[in-house]
Amino acid sequence: MDFDESGSRLLTQEFIAVILAGFGNELTPLTYNHGEEPCPKALLPIANKPMLHYPLSWLEASGIRDVLLICPTAQKAAVTHYIRSDASTTAFPSLRIDLQVYGDTQDIKGETCAVLRNFAHKIKQDFVVLPCDFVPSPTFPLTRVLDKFRTEAPYDGSIATTCFHEWQKPEKGTSIEEWNSVPIPMPIVWDEPSGTLLHIDTPDDIDRNDSSIELNMSLLSSYPKVRMSAGMLDTHVYVCRRSILDVLHEKSSFDSLREEFIPWLCKPQYSRSKRRKYGSSLSPSSNSPSQGLALQHATLHTRSMQPSLHISSTSSAGEPRTAPSSPIDSEDDIEDRASLRVGIVVHRTQDGYASRANTLYSYLELNRHFLAQTSWTLPSDAESRAMIDSKAQISTDSMVGHTTKVEERTSIKRSVVGKHCIIGKMVKIVGCVILDHCVISDGAKLDGCILGKNTKVGTKAELVRCVTQAGFEVDAGETFRNDKLEVADWTATQESSEDNEDSGESTDGE
Amino acid sequence: MPPKSSTGKEKDLGGEEEVLQAVILADSFNKRFRPLTVSKPRCLLPVCNATLLEWTFESLALAGVQEIFVVCRSFPEQVKAAIQDSKWSKPASGIKIVPIITSKQTFTPGDAMRDIYTHSIITSDFVLVMGDLVSNVRIDEVVRIHKERRKTNKDAIMTMVVKESGVSHRTRSKGDSSVFVLDAHTSECLHYEPIIGVPPTKHIRIPREILAEHPEVQIRNDLIDCMIDVCSVEVPSLFQDNFDYGDIRRDFVSGVLSSDLLMKNIHCYVAQEGYAARVADTRSYDAVSKDILSRWTFPLVPDDNHPSGHLYEHLRGNKYIAKDNTVSLSRTCKINSNSLIGSHTSIAAGATITSSVIGQRCTIGADVVLHNAYIFDDTTIGAGSVIKQSIIASKVEVGEGSVIERGSLVGDKVVLGKNARLGPFERVSRRKEDVLKELGEDGEDLEEDEDSEDEWEEVEKPHDHGEHLDQENAPGILGEGSNGIVWPQGPPEDDEDADEVERFDNQRLMRLGDTASDLEQSDDEDDDSSAYSDSDTETDASSFRPFSHTSSRSSFSLHSSTFEAASSSLHGLSDAAAEQEFRNELKQSVKRAFEENHSLDNAAVELKTLRMASNGKLRTVREVVVEAVVEKMTIVEGDAQGQRKEIAEVVDRWGELIDRIGGVDHEETIEILQHHCAKSARLPLFGQILATLYQEDLVDEDDIRAWHTKPEAKGEGKHPKHGATLEGIKHCWSVGGKMIEQFNAQESSDEDSDEESEDE
Repeated sequence: MDFDESGSRLLTQEFIAVILAGFGNELTPLTYNHGEEPCPKALLPIANKPMLHYPLSWLEASGIRDVLLICPTAQKAAVTHYIRSDASTTAFPSLRIDLQVYGDTQDIKGETCAVLRNFAHKIKQDFVVLPCDFVPSPTFPLTRVLDKFRTEAPYDGSIATTCFHEWQKPEKGTSIEEWNSVPIPMPIVWDEPSGTLLHIDTPDDIDRNDSSIELNMSLLSSYPKVRMSAGMLDTHVYVCRRSILDVLHEKSSFDSLREEFIPWLCKPQYSRSKRRKYGSSLSPSSNSPSQGLALQHATLHTRSMQPSLHISSTSSAGEPRTAPSSPIDSEDDIEDRASLRVGIVVHRTQDGYASRANTLYSYLELNRHFLAQTSWTLPSDAESRAMIDSKAQISTDSMVGHTTKVEERTSIKRSVVGKHCIIGKMVKIVGCVILDHCVISDGAKLDGCILGKNTKVGTKAELVRCVTQAGFEVDAGETFRNDKLEVADWTATQESSEDNEDSGESTDGE
Repeated sequence: MPPKSSTGKEKDLGGEEEVLQAVILADSFNKRFRPLTVSKPRCLLPVCNATLLEWTFESLALAGVQEIFVVCRSFPEQVKAAIQDSKWSKPASGIKIVPIITSKQTFTPGDAMRDIYTHSIITSDFVLVMGDLVSNVRIDEVVRIHKERRKTNKDAIMTMVVKESGVSHRTRSKGDSSVFVLDAHTSECLHYEPIIGVPPTKHIRIPREILAEHPEVQIRNDLIDCMIDVCSVEVPSLFQDNFDYGDIRRDFVSGVLSSDLLMKNIHCYVAQEGYAARVADTRSYDAVSKDILSRWTFPLVPDDNHPSGHLYEHLRGNKYIAKDNTVSLSRTCKINSNSLIGSHTSIAAGATITSSVIGQRCTIGADVVLHNAYIFDDTTIGAGSVIKQSIIASKVEVGEGSVIERGSLVGDKVVLGKNARLGPFERVSRRKEDVLKELGEDGEDLEEDEDSEDEWEEVEKPHDHGEHLDQENAPGILGEGSNGIVWPQGPPEDDEDADEVERFDNQRLMRLGDTASDLEQSDDEDDDSSAYSDSDTETDASSFRPFSHTSSRSSFSLHSSTFEAASSSLHGLSDAAAEQEFRNELKQSVKRAFEENHSLDNAAVELKTLRMASNGKLRTVREVVVEAVVEKMTIVEGDAQGQRKEIAEVVDRWGELIDRIGGVDHEETIEILQHHCAKSARLPLFGQILATLYQEDLVDEDDIRAWHTKPEAKGEGKHPKHGATLEGIKHCWSVGGKMIEQFNAQESSDEDSDEESEDE
């Protein structure tokens, strides 16, 4: 007997994770090229850790091993460097990361659907799509989403499970208007008891009817008690059946996973004609043994498959036992049993802060969130500590990376300072995110800024609520407010950054 | 603890000051129970041997209501008498019941509410219910919550009691249901969407602005709306202010929720427990009866708290037999479960009774089979008859060996001969004369009622026309010696005019015994409605089958085609009549405005609403206004200056009204003015009026030119209307011509304009 072999067969991975890393158009100018070098969105640091660290460690904790990381060609070198670095191999020892690139050569410009179609051949089993920018709350394990899919997919015919998090309106007065408009969440409709996502109101729907939201009556007759909310944001985490990719190939007109495909995927759940047309390809009957039969006969198991039953069990007082069965209602249930459910896991804010770093605003907020969590994070090695002048005031809710030099009488409050920065004397930094290798000269004042890497700030310059492109230089004594500062007069960069812009038109904020 | 109890008493006394009032709208305002309701109001139809009105009283009494107003429209005398006889009128009942009789012109619940307002009987928050309610929901609890809410929010004017069930509860009508959008936390109703079954409502539209204020809402399609509303005092006055509110849900609730001006809130109370249902149609009649028999309405069950005070013995299998030992059951008859048998009823040998309700003093012959049948009091069923899923009213005689198929309704005192064969969904009543004779005074009301007049006509027409059919077929259906007539099946002639809910196909969903499986009911949206080339537009072939009546007689379709032509010309006539009536109303309104010297705003609003109300044409309004303004000018003989002054005054005061009726069309104004002047004594004034209008900027030079070039203005083409003389028209045209000449002259001589045209 060869135990080893059978053992490895048993270990066939249940899921493969697909991480989509895009150009980060919403995060410009941070993601514009620095000279010839790209600044990949996936590697922008949040609390001094690359963004990609967060979804990867989420995956690590969930037990998924295979990761298909897809990023634009231009970013390949930088991302490879990160994956092979000590930091990531120690943090994610069990992940097998397969880095794939897309770009101009393959005629894909970054539409999420197209990317998935292109790499469908690499996906042999059920898969999890993740963005590179989702920062989950520590109390929210990926297994919660996976488990919902695991229970529903085999016996109930669920085809996908999505994950939404509660969204808070930014308070008024924060600097968002000047930077980027914060996308207002698309209203969604879902069924709470069974956790079923039923409708996403897409921008197309708004174009069709901007005064009211249209809902199909067939939705409401199969799910009579639903919730609708305009306060839920898509985390872009989708656990999907492999069969979805076949349908994705069929629907070649879809570009965006989030705005087009997933909303469409909700419809076969209740639309009879769509179910007839796509039901078999979405949910091919498998011969693999499942607990389906057992679960159906289980008396303790709540059958979320038939929502009406579910509800009636709570309000049986009014439910007639002797109701004549009407032939119209039950027809479809017999026709095909698979629910084609698109599950939804709702992550409420009270369970912890989670967000995608897909806008400048949320990027800054996430950084601030981590500052509030940790306290007094200074480099631990003596060498780096020695570079911080003892007369510098660094508040406990700040973070300073290693090998960063902070000179005397400089104060840093509520800010993240990256690695290898040089901060002069008498500098005031409040509520900022300063990326690596920045140089800030004496007497500069920074308030609520995000500085791209290698930004140089001259003496006594003042920046309030500004975002700078990597390598930007602020001259001595200059003052900027509420501005996006881009390297404009750097001819070499100009070209490549424009290329970047064009090529990343619809990355969908990956 | 004596001290404490005394404080409690004080509180009780404080609470007693406010009497909880309830208003019952006893009329149904529809015809779903015809012909059972030709000689009786719907609220007096018995359900499980107690009238609907009594069930409603019982439900309200359970809720602690102390004063009840019953608004009745049809057969008010019968309702009054019924209230007198009921146990609630006895002095010890603790409830005061006051009947309120409204006029025959009360066609909608909204009208009834306006009537309540004018009676000004409502002193505090009250409970509004329909006269067909069977409920054991604790309404007093809802009233308490409502009052509590009112303390903090004065705008919370109404709380609707809805019962949580499921999509397809048997008392939840498929044909007339609704979707509520509620705030998840406050259960404030944010949006109301009525749903009908045929043609199926495919979409609901929820206004986006709701989400701006309420980020998370619930959309509920699983609520039974049994029309129990706890209303504040201002609700009737809102009906008074908005005279177009008809239905309480579709007009009032939708109106209040969608209005930006009213700023009122309506809340829902979702009853988790208890039972509440309306007997709104024959299908729910069946459902509610079954629910009562299977004791969902406890404590309102036949063996306890029977609203009519009958006593029944509850036997195993939910069989109820009158307790006073007057029921005579033969040894070989078989009573199956879910049945109720009233006192003094005798059931002969071999009869089988399943899931049926039999009234008092009935005689059921030998070997009769009753299956899901409802037999009212004093009815005799001849031996060997078979009755399935039908309602047989009181004092009916069904001949031996008759067969009555599902869904049939047999009206009061109908006699069916031997071997009558009623197909499915047949409706039988006596002839109109018989009904009227007996009704006496109330019958006169019936005669006045235009609506029912038409209805009778339609019922009796096919038979008058096809006498031979009557003779050959009627005995076949109704048996020898029957006094009944069969009501036509299929949609009535004016089906298209009816409210969407009341149309025939939709009503079929509310019909007893009708599975309506041949109707397209899929609420699925078949069209993908998107730009994708591979859209999923397939017809839902499996659920669609061509519509076919289940009628056993094909004769009616023959008739309906012959009447089509006649009815269309009738329609034309009635259109003209409607237009004339509209015109008269407009004239009255303008006259009143002149006499009482209304402001322009008020006069304009009144005209606009009139037009909305009767869906009239804008041109008609314009004609009336122009004519009225012209007629307002008195003719001053021989004093050109005075005449000019008079015209200027009138136009100055009222001229602007012409442009404020909801649309501006100066060309039409001139044309109307021309036609009117041509037939009136004010023909000579045409030029002056036109000039004044021009000065007041009510018409422009371009308009005059445009009008002048039209062939109609010259008097060519069409015949002048309404006695306008051709000469008059031509005269006006030439006057206009002169004016245009002047305009031309002015243009060439540049700018000395105004004086000259005034001189004209």
